[in-house]
Amino acid sequence: MIRVALVDDHAVVRAGVRAELEEYFTIVGEAGNVAEAIDVIASSRPDVVVCDVHLPGGNAPAVIRGVVDRGVTSTFLALSVSDAAEDVIAVIRAGARGYVTKTIEGADLVDAVRRVHEGDAVFSPRLAGFVLDAFSADLDGPVDPELDRLTAREQEVMRLLARGYAYKEVARRLSISIKTVETHASSVLRKLQLSNRNELTRWAANRRII
Amino acid sequence: MLGKPRWQRPRLDPDEALLGGVGHALATEIGVPALVVRICFVLLAIGGGWGLFVYAAGWLYLRVAPVEAEPYVPDPKGPSETARYLAIGMVTTGLLMLARTIPSQLFSDAIVFSAGLFAIGVLIAWSRGSLSRTESMITRLAVASVFAVVALGLFLALAFSTLAAAVVSGIALAVLGVFGVLLGPTIVRLASDLGQERLNRARADERAVMAAHLHDSVLQTLALVQRHSDNPARTAQLARRQERELRQWLYASAPSTSARSTPSSPQSLRQLLEQLADKVEERHEIPVEVVVVGDSNLPFAVAQPLLGACREALTNAAKHSGAKQIDVFAEAHTDRVEVFVRDTGCGFLPDEVAHDRHGIVDSIAGRMERISGTATIHSTLGEGTEVELSAPLPSSETSENKDNHQ
Repeated sequence: MIRVALVDDHAVVRAGVRAELEEYFTIVGEAGNVAEAIDVIASSRPDVVVCDVHLPGGNAPAVIRGVVDRGVTSTFLALSVSDAAEDVIAVIRAGARGYVTKTIEGADLVDAVRRVHEGDAVFSPRLAGFVLDAFSADLDGPVDPELDRLTAREQEVMRLLARGYAYKEVARRLSISIKTVETHASSVLRKLQLSNRNELTRWAANRRII
Repeated sequence: MLGKPRWQRPRLDPDEALLGGVGHALATEIGVPALVVRICFVLLAIGGGWGLFVYAAGWLYLRVAPVEAEPYVPDPKGPSETARYLAIGMVTTGLLMLARTIPSQLFSDAIVFSAGLFAIGVLIAWSRGSLSRTESMITRLAVASVFAVVALGLFLALAFSTLAAAVVSGIALAVLGVFGVLLGPTIVRLASDLGQERLNRARADERAVMAAHLHDSVLQTLALVQRHSDNPARTAQLARRQERELRQWLYASAPSTSARSTPSSPQSLRQLLEQLADKVEERHEIPVEVVVVGDSNLPFAVAQPLLGACREALTNAAKHSGAKQIDVFAEAHTDRVEVFVRDTGCGFLPDEVAHDRHGIVDSIAGRMERISGTATIHSTLGEGTEVELSAPLPSSETSENKDNHQ
């Protein structure tokens, strides 16, 4: 059974998420702020951390960095009410494997936890939109084509995800296997994390309001 | 009917009084600010001591004013405000002149100037009104004492010989210095407390605004949600609308972003779509998720038909698909704009829709054709429907659009 930790400053939200996940996963810990989260994660070593973006004492990237510093290799799934691009991109850049909003259906959340655990990337339509927007900006200066651009196929995949398609629907629409769709999604996520473009940061900063 | 009395003995108002309240009472009666009358009293006090005399006399006279008499608001005296000021000035000047003609031991320079100085001090001390009670008492007493000491020094200096004057001024300055050292920190502290208090008040105001907003919006919605708790669709719709509203409120006050992303114009694709989604959500009680990539400002001629087609697609999805959510994805390219409306509902066979149904033909395809755009409908029974709208952007818009993308 996948071991999951929940980080959110609202006990009500934690209780709600716990109720939805309990049946399928082992909930090994809960935390309500950054320091607590790092302690809980470092001691309980969950497989997946479902983490809110804004927390007392910092934000999700602070938790991710703190945990990495302690040598923990948990996978992070951001679960947030925030639609602000800055928040979302910051979490993903810090190393989260997926981002979903709190309005997500219970079954979809369970599925998302499973998928990030399997190493897959989880995109909500909005996140896919952000990615397209971020990577569509014109580039000045030296560009690493490996990291700073999306391939045509990746763009197609992102567009379909942004249009609300599930992975299997994307696969059917593009006549490729689900595995390939997942590969594209993962590579987009990797680019988002590793790309050094200043534009990406600037873009996120300029789009606080989405 | 008797009407209100034209004149009564002016009343002393202890709440407004600086010293005895005479200045305020007279000012109210005459119809000028109390400060003017007070300045006149001080002038008269300095220029021969009349001020003190008149003030004392006035106070004794007004003290016995009938308190139990009916409320009385005096009519401003004099035909105009200027006339009132002029009259006061003339009376004051006259009294000053009079004072110079009666040399007397009682109103010697020594007494008059010292008393005048002391009066000014008291005036200054008591006119600092914005402090809280105990603190203000300390400050007032401090300021008043300083002036009292200086006034005493002045009196002694003028009343006695020059040697004595030198000694006395020395003592006065020394006392002044001691007061400064003793009271300086207190006064500084009071000043900084005042700043703190102002800050707290500003914070409290902000909190009050926030509370008012939350009450008007969130609490009301929560109340509605409780009432409609047996109706999940209605509850979800209320929650969603509130979420949208709150988000808008929260982010609208955020510092505006750079000039390149200025979706504030009503023609912005994102804004238009979000407004539309709002309306559809409200009317059909179904969540509409809007994702926009590369926002740009649409010319009215394009926006109108495009949004119309979009509305029709959304309405169809809401009414017929039975889906739980509708996704809208829009992408603004430099030369064209694309909008996708997608649901995962029951789907339909486009060919089997009766030709007399206007929905698709006129409302969607027709509108798009008028702006040289296209409308494509993909639908699979049991899996859902997607309406794909694409419209070219006029070239003038293209250059502007390019700017947006830099």
